[in-house]
Formats: sequence, structure tokens, C-alpha cells
Amino acid sequence: MEFRKLGIVGGGFMGRSLAQKVASSGIDVQVLEVSKERAEQSRAELVANLDAEMAKWGITASEKKATLGRIRYATDPKAMVGVQMIVEVVPEDLSTKQSVLKKLDAVLEPDIVFVTSTSTLSVTEIGAGSGRPDRVVGMHFMHAVTMSRLVEIVRGTATSNQTFERAVGFAKTLEKKVIEVFEYPGYVVTRAILPFLNEAMHIVMEGVASADDVDLALKLAYEFKVGPLEYTDRIGLDTVLRWMDHLFRELGDMKYRPCPLLRKMVRAGYLGRKAGRGFFRWQGHERVRDGAPAGAKESGR
Amino acid sequence: MKVLVLNCGSSSVKYQLIETSLEAIEKNEDHALGRGSVERIGTAAAVHTFQAAGRDKVTDSKEILEHRDALADILRMLAHPERGVIAGPADVDAVGHRMVHGGERFTASALATPEAIRAVQDCVPLAPLHNPSNLRGYEAARRILPDVPHALVFDTAYHQTMPPVAFLYGLPYVLYTRHAVRRYGFHGTSHRFVGWRSRVLLGKPREQTRLITCHLGNGASVCAIDHGRSVDTSLGFTPIEGLIMGTRCGDLDPGAIFHVMHAEDLSEHQLTTMLNKHSGLQGISGVSNDMRELLEAEAKGHERAKLAIDMFCYRLRKYIAAYAGVMGGVDAVIFTGGIGENASPVRARSVVGLEFMGLKIDPAKNAAAAGMEADVSAAEASVRTLVIPTNEELIIARDTVRLVAGAEQD
Repeated sequence: MEFRKLGIVGGGFMGRSLAQKVASSGIDVQVLEVSKERAEQSRAELVANLDAEMAKWGITASEKKATLGRIRYATDPKAMVGVQMIVEVVPEDLSTKQSVLKKLDAVLEPDIVFVTSTSTLSVTEIGAGSGRPDRVVGMHFMHAVTMSRLVEIVRGTATSNQTFERAVGFAKTLEKKVIEVFEYPGYVVTRAILPFLNEAMHIVMEGVASADDVDLALKLAYEFKVGPLEYTDRIGLDTVLRWMDHLFRELGDMKYRPCPLLRKMVRAGYLGRKAGRGFFRWQGHERVRDGAPAGAKESGR
Repeated sequence: MKVLVLNCGSSSVKYQLIETSLEAIEKNEDHALGRGSVERIGTAAAVHTFQAAGRDKVTDSKEILEHRDALADILRMLAHPERGVIAGPADVDAVGHRMVHGGERFTASALATPEAIRAVQDCVPLAPLHNPSNLRGYEAARRILPDVPHALVFDTAYHQTMPPVAFLYGLPYVLYTRHAVRRYGFHGTSHRFVGWRSRVLLGKPREQTRLITCHLGNGASVCAIDHGRSVDTSLGFTPIEGLIMGTRCGDLDPGAIFHVMHAEDLSEHQLTTMLNKHSGLQGISGVSNDMRELLEAEAKGHERAKLAIDMFCYRLRKYIAAYAGVMGGVDAVIFTGGIGENASPVRARSVVGLEFMGLKIDPAKNAAAAGMEADVSAAEASVRTLVIPTNEELIIARDTVRLVAGAEQD
């Protein structure tokens, strides 16, 4: 089955990135937002994203126009009638997600699959409150959806095979590689990366090496494109802390205990790129390199 | 014989229905009965445009979800009681398909046997954007018109006569044997057609002609034709090499690519898009990829529009002189394609300075020639300069007729 129209609930960071990717693949997108103001803001930022991509020569002016032309905004759930699949990208909160899906369940055909984009909540639990648990599946997209080549597709306890295959078909339309994940906290990528980020913070906290040197070392040693601390800055320290706390609570394993330095920095408001300061200084989307030895070495490559 | 000519892209089908026969080809009297396109396939608002010869254009918008639906709609349009040009699908005698890449397997057009289709599938890695769409269009047409012959006409086939010295790159030889990395060239049907027409106009047999054909459209390439065979051409492994084009860069030092990739922190996708869609006339001028608009801007004093045109002509002039060297001389230079047929200043500026090899344009004849066959050479020129409109759909229809009749391809 070919995808022609997709519904996205939530026009935030992830929602926009997903809408852009889907629309640029030639599929119409209906975005549901909570208010007209939010919809307008989302659209304005979408235009800014496309302009930035055009400045990097990634798309042409006519491709920008075509992509924008395929994305429509609405605030009434009834506007979602006619879409072939729903992807919700609302904030990471169980009751918010459940109530959104419940509302859509009331207006949409029973065979429409609901995709939840949660990275920490239980797909099973979200599905249980949706009114159609067998047609709920998790898809964990990596940011930016336009660039990343991977998606984790997560089976809840009640997810049917047919629903899973629909999600796989959608991912293939977006030219993404799929890994199949059976629901468990953190899935695969989040669970594997968090202790790594946490350990890098411990190295800094214990005064073993500077943040610059930790990143430089891991980049050069293992050919990572981005070091763990810069990566933490990009994700947002508050987000990383929330994930760590969640895994720690859920599984009770010491390996997920958040580094105290992380908690301290979050309390200070050093949230990373979005705050202009985390382990490094930021201006907009770019790192500020203020002549620190490790940074200087790197920019001279 | 009525031949349906199809050019299938990922979300579009362009088509013409052409009335032709071996006799009509000989007299150059074959012609299109109608032409059209279906755009935005896969959406609820696909656009089908059709124009029967000598009548007004009609446009329909409707849901067309795949190539098969598009083909069905095209046949409905062609057989439409008021707008159409045939009584029914049974009036279509054959189908000619434009195929982008035939690799080394296809040295000429071919009937679409199962074996030939498998060979086209084998060429997909060489043209991942084009061959799959071409094949999807073929499969759709085969289902809807199962009882007529289908022919495959390749952009690359004509250039398969190039010798290894011309088609190999200065890379490790193993890349050729392992990945088929070599120059293939494109626009082959166009170069072949204007080569043939120019021999007719010059009244010379193929054994006595050395031609340089310049196909100048939004994509552009030059071809050296010796004894009727392509011996070198400027497009390469992909359609980026060679001339400066509308939005493609043409010849470039690969070292610059890696420098730019690091300096601007670009992804592979961004880099590819830059070279294909943001470079060439568009990238240099910052104004347009359209030569007409650039000539207008230049006339109003726009510096970089002038620079872009100058660079375009300069690059072409280098290739013309080089290909004369390749063949040890040249009898005629032929201009074709949207720019080659219409932009007289580009023709004039591309051969200026080549008087030493006998090439000289008559300014008045050149200025008068637009969209029609013309000899624009100066009286004293020993090398002819010709303008010959190309018609790729016509060539596809002709090849189809010849394949069906078992006649030789020219």
C-alpha cells in the first residue's frame, strides 16, 4: 500500500522535522495542533528549517515550495479524517498521549494505525488507553528525522503483526533502516547511549580530563562524528537527566544513576545548546570555540 | 504506424503519439498527433495535460495513484471522443520507451524482451534515480498494451562506440572492472539524430564526415561524431561532467569537492544537490538557470549574468576545439537543444576565436536562425555551422518503427 496522506499530532521540534521529511518524500501531511497560535508558530519554524536547508544547498526553492504545499495545519481532530496513519509527537506524558489518541479514536476509521513516538513511556500502556491497543505501535525516530537513517519500531504487548508491518512499510517509504524492538525501557539506542554519556560526565566531574579533551579523545579514538558531551549539549541536559531518572526508577539498576554533575548543571540552567551553555558554549546552532586548546586543535584540522 | 512514446519519471509521465513509418522517416514527414503529460502521480491532485496537434491544450486534475493509472488515463485521453486523436487503444501500434541508462549492455535501441528488461534492471545501480521509474512506466504500459511491441531507447546507447581512451577515467583500472566506473555519456538519441540530419543537409555519406554536435538545453553535452559514430562526449559517469549547464557544474577538480564538504560541513546529500541543482548558470549568476533570462539580465548590465554566459561559451569553445583535435579535423559544428536552437548570441560567442580552424559564423544568418534548420556559416568558412532542432520523442518513435520492421537504425 502506498502512503499518500499522514496525520501528525503535535507540531513541535520532532513533529516539524517529521512533517518535513514526510512531505519531501511526496506524501501529504495533516498536522494537528492545540491552538491556531501554536500552528502558526510551528509553520513559521518549518519555513525557517527549510530556509536553513536551502542555505546548505540541500533543497531548491521549488522543492521548498512543494514541501510546504503538502503540509496543512488544523486544530480540530476531525481534520484528520482521510489520513492513512497517525503519528503522535506530543509531549512525553502518559495522560496527554492517551487523551490525544482517545479523541482521535472517536473520529477515525477503526483500521487506522496509531504510531506513538515515545522514547521512554510504555507503548503497551499508551495503547491500553487508546481504544485500539492492537493498532498502536511505537516508532522512535532520531532527531533530525530529515537526516537520521534509523528508526526503532517498538512492539507493545498488544501490537498486532499487521500493525507492525504497516509501521515498517511507512519507515521504508521514508528510506529508513528499521530495527524491531520488543518493548523494554530505553529500547536499544537510548539504553546503550545513556550510560556512555553519563560516564563521560563522571570523567569530567572527577577531574580526570577536560570536557574538550574527553570529546576529542572519543571522536578520534572511535571515529564518532560528535563527542558524548557535545552530544549531551545537543540533546539537552534536562532531557538526558529525565531519561536517566526514568531508567533508574524503572529498572533500579545503579548503572543508570544520573551523574551528580548533570543534575547540578540542570539546576543551574546549563541545559546545553538550547540554553547557549552546557558543557560547551553555544550561539544559535553553532558551538562557540573560544580558543580553548582542544577546540583550537580541532578547528585547525 | 502510431507509436506511443513514453518518458516516465518518478512521479510524471510525458508522452507523444507519433504517426510514422519507414517511408515517412525517409521523407522526414513523420509527426506527432498529440502530446501530453501526467504530473504529480501518487497524489489526489495529479495533473493531466494534453494537446492534440493544431488544437487547444486541455487540463484535467484527478486522483492518479500510480503509473498504471496514469497510463490508463493517457489512453482514455487519446481515445476521448472530443479531445482525442484515436478511436481506441487498439489504434496504438507500438510503444517506445525512453530509458536513461543501458550501461555497456545496450549499444542500440532494443525490443523489450524479458532478457532485455533484466539487463535494464542490472543497470539500476548506475542510474538509481531514473532507471527504476523508467521500468515502472514500462511495466505499466506492458500491462495495459500487452499485445503490441514495446521498444527501449537508451540515452547512453549511441556513445557505446567510444574507444577506451575516451571512456576511461584516470582512476585505478579495477574500479572499471569492479563497479563499471567509466564515461557513458547521455543525450545519445539527440546527438545521433542531429548527426544524421546534418549528413542529409550536407549531402555527405557518414564515411566522409567529422561532426561536433552541441546539445545545449538545461542539461548540455558535446559529442564528437566520426564516420557516424560517437567517439567522445562530454557527459560522463553521471550527467554532471563536461559543459556548464543550467544548474549543474560540469568539469570540476574533485579536490574542491572535499574541501567544500569540510569547509561548509555538508552532508553527502547536500553536496550532491549543490552540484546538480544549485550550480552551473544558476549558481554563477544567482539570477536564473534559463539562458533567455540571463541574456536579458546581461543586456541590462548584470555582471554575473554576463560572467555565467561567458563561462558557458568559453567551456563549450574549449570542447569544440578539443574534439576537432580528437578527430583530426571537423566538417561541421551543429547546435541543437533549447539554447542551441534559439540563443544566437551563445552560438556566436562559442565559436569566436575558432576562425583558425575554419569555423566562422555569418552574423545575419545566425541572428535569423531560431528553432529551424539553418546553415549559419560565413561564406568563407571551411567548416559548416548548422542549427538543427532536435526531437527526442521522434527519434524514439523512429527507432521503434525500425525495430518492429527489422530495419537498420541510423
